[in-house]
Amino acid sequence: MKNIVKIALISSAACLALVACAKKQQPETNPTAEAAPAAEAVQSAEPAMTQAQADSLAAEQARLDAERLEAERARLEALINQIMSEDVYFDFDRSELTEKAKELLAQVGELLLKEQRFTITIEGHTDARGTEDYNFTLGAKRAMKVKEFLAAYGIENSRMESVSYGKEAPKAQGETEEAYSQNRRANFRVNIKQ
Amino acid sequence: MRENVTRFVWGFVLALVCLVPQGVFASIDTIAVDVGISVFKTTPIGIVPFEEKPGIDWIEEKPHQILTRDANLSGRFDVVASDKFNLALFSRSKAKHYMTGKVEPTSDGRLAVDCYLYVSQSKDLLLGERYTVPQKELRRAMHAFFDKVIYQLWGERGVASTRIAYVSKIDGIKQVVVSDYDGFHRSQITRDSTISMMPVWTRGNKGLVYVNFKTNRPRLYTKNFGRPEKPLFEQFDQTYSPAVNPVSGELLFSSSKDGKTDLYIGNMETGKARKFAYLKSNQTSPAWSPYATEVLFTSDRGGGPQIFVMGKDGSDLRRVTFMGRYNERASWSPEGDRIAYTSMDNGKMNIYTCALDGSDIVQLTNNAGNNEHPTWSPDGKLIAFTSNRSGTYQIYIMRKDGSNVTRITQAGENTAPTWSWFYDENKPQPKEGSK
Repeated sequence: MKNIVKIALISSAACLALVACAKKQQPETNPTAEAAPAAEAVQSAEPAMTQAQADSLAAEQARLDAERLEAERARLEALINQIMSEDVYFDFDRSELTEKAKELLAQVGELLLKEQRFTITIEGHTDARGTEDYNFTLGAKRAMKVKEFLAAYGIENSRMESVSYGKEAPKAQGETEEAYSQNRRANFRVNIKQ
Repeated sequence: MRENVTRFVWGFVLALVCLVPQGVFASIDTIAVDVGISVFKTTPIGIVPFEEKPGIDWIEEKPHQILTRDANLSGRFDVVASDKFNLALFSRSKAKHYMTGKVEPTSDGRLAVDCYLYVSQSKDLLLGERYTVPQKELRRAMHAFFDKVIYQLWGERGVASTRIAYVSKIDGIKQVVVSDYDGFHRSQITRDSTISMMPVWTRGNKGLVYVNFKTNRPRLYTKNFGRPEKPLFEQFDQTYSPAVNPVSGELLFSSSKDGKTDLYIGNMETGKARKFAYLKSNQTSPAWSPYATEVLFTSDRGGGPQIFVMGKDGSDLRRVTFMGRYNERASWSPEGDRIAYTSMDNGKMNIYTCALDGSDIVQLTNNAGNNEHPTWSPDGKLIAFTSNRSGTYQIYIMRKDGSNVTRITQAGENTAPTWSWFYDENKPQPKEGSK
């Protein structure tokens, strides 16, 4: 019984302490409204103080900016991740786009139309079968088919670059049809134009 | 009843005949495939262990063992091994010549090796050479002697002192390496964190041209041994499939731009290059004829890859391969009469040769994993290639008829071999272009 009372006391004390802390911090975390007139009033008397306040103001502004940028960055990152995860798959020794590939590419095209700052590199890949040389040409054809589709969707060619990796960068290891079908693909790398 | 027994016995014998060779070949590393018809006439040659002075601490193979391996690999000889000179054995085996020698330690810790080539019947000395080398150079000294033997007996240059460039996965990254033709004395050429691949030799074996991905795209680089690397033809987007012109040293290569792959030819010194052929199809994997008058390449004009040939001025284009849907990466035999290439059937790659008009197709590898990237030895007797028949990709050498397959790399993953040109600084070179 004593123990329970003790725990209750401790926890309520902890709660109080937390509230107190929160109250103390409040003026610092949201000073924009009050700080400005206060600064005017004491300007002549305590210039050092004003300087400190101005500094904290600027720091606050920077923090807010950073927060907004962070949010924007997180949103862009989510978009970029979405684009980068949209792999387009092909049939063996083929570079024609399947219906499913076209659906995926339409989504990517939509994102690129919305985010004009994005530029992309389209990477064409092949499965492990066949020679290195011919697979480079095949990967180049695949990347080009994707680029053509996106161009037709309204993305400027200047925002797209295509490159072939041949069979050099497989996504899945192994000599099964499943691994092969995962590797016959085109994928995207996204850059943000400054 | 008796008839039945006889039939049974014959059946049993037949079954034995069919079964035994498979069992034997499956268990050893050196697999004879023998799909093609053996066209080799090999010459028996006797090899007798070298006379040894005491005081040698052997860490390498002994001289006669190195010569035996060279002779077996060369595609020219059948080795008649004997502990000592044995005229009866040599005559019976038709070994008209034999090789032996003497080896002794020198005061400074090296080996003095005397190597001899004798006529068996008369014991006449045909060739004698002395090499004084540290033991780790012994193998190369024996290669040099072996090539002199070939020159003496055949009037031709041998390949025992040639090298092979290939791609080896080192710490998970493909790097270009060079080794002697028998897989020894391996040295790493590229040390990048990005993939290096497709090495070929520049003329005079001064260096290599290869592809690296350090700019996030395939691009050609050249490097003379011991010198810094230099990017090639940076005005082109994605460059690969290099082929060095054996006469002029110019580089023929593929470049992909906007999904279209074309052949270009350029000068590696000046960096100037121009389009080699104006064709609607994609072209890759160029290969020069021995005297650089014609070019083999792969085109996808029929849908899949097929091999074509044309003159060096782009004239007289014709298709070479018609069998199968995937024929790629042709390589012209130094004798000029045949090409070796890789063909894919049911997802498996195998090596074939055929005449230049596409006739007389011979399958060299069969039923042993994937076999690809054939490259001719400069004397045209042998073909090196890569195969994953052992589970991982390794480099093998076989005779040009597919016989005598010998593995030369042991560990890791090794692909894309390219044989060097001849190494023969000491011998007067026949003028290029003369027959």
